[in-house]
Amino acid sequence: MYEKDHKEPDFMKRPPKNPFRTPDSYFESLEDRIMVNIKNTTKKKSSSSAIIRFLKPALGIAASITLVYMLAYNPINKFLQKGTAKTELTDTAGTDLLNNYSINLASIDDNSLINAIFTDETNIFAETNPDEFLAYLSTDMNDVEIYSEIQN
Amino acid sequence: MTNDQQILDSLKDPSTKELAFRHLVSKYKERLYWHIRKIVLNHDDTDDVLQNTFIKIWNGIDSFRAESSLFTWLYRIATNESITFLNQRKRRTMTSLNDENQYLIDNLESDPYFDGDKWQMILQKAIATLPEKQRLVFNLKYFEEIKYEEMSKILETSVGALKASYHHAVKKVEEYVKSHETRIEP
Repeated sequence: MYEKDHKEPDFMKRPPKNPFRTPDSYFESLEDRIMVNIKNTTKKKSSSSAIIRFLKPALGIAASITLVYMLAYNPINKFLQKGTAKTELTDTAGTDLLNNYSINLASIDDNSLINAIFTDETNIFAETNPDEFLAYLSTDMNDVEIYSEIQN
Repeated sequence: MTNDQQILDSLKDPSTKELAFRHLVSKYKERLYWHIRKIVLNHDDTDDVLQNTFIKIWNGIDSFRAESSLFTWLYRIATNESITFLNQRKRRTMTSLNDENQYLIDNLESDPYFDGDKWQMILQKAIATLPEKQRLVFNLKYFEEIKYEEMSKILETSVGALKASYHHAVKKVEEYVKSHETRIEP
């Protein structure tokens, strides 16, 4: 049994014997059991095929919607996100500008503000006589009274 | 209807398909059973694999092209089903290669349908410790006396590779049997 150029091992000197057995009458009913199994498998297969056939259109529609969603929604979403980003940028710029103004306004004192308001009008101090200036310093008039005096 | 060609012709006709298949099962059930039993060892597992094998044969009989003999085709399906079954068991229990061999040995020891003596148990354990390919080749050659050319078609392996596998298997079995048979009480 073993190859001619190899020495036959001792265990091969014994004739091969099948040490296994089957339950009694196992082979007698085997054809029937196999045919029953085949029919059951075919039934299962056909019912699962019917489910698949029934679900196929629904799955097709779902797949199409997903595809459209992927193809259309994402670009639109990205486009919208870009627009929102621009608006946010503009808003931020506006806020910064306002903040800058707030800082500038806060840093201006009352006199500077009055000067700024009346810049385009006649220079009140240019027409002021030094004697009047001295008279002013010697009176107890407040700013509003002095202003109304000068204007009149 | 005992001739393979007659069976195949009748299988092609829907009106005689079932009867022809019964003939096919009747003709090959025992040979396929023992072939599978030598691989998976346990009777219950063998019964499951045999059922699956015949279901596969029924489903695939229309695609049989007679490029090989019917017997070779049936053996190839039975062998593949047996290996798939063992691999599934291995995955389910997350066992390594050595554990798979231990699974086979446990199967052997717990099988109530093992009628062999202690020496035959040692021989079966020795075969169970072989790698998958060597185990298949050893069983086909030693117990079923299948020619290398036929075995080459069943296992889709070259004759040279099969001879080498068988040679290695014989050496390993010999060593195992020698080291264990001394423990058998006279």
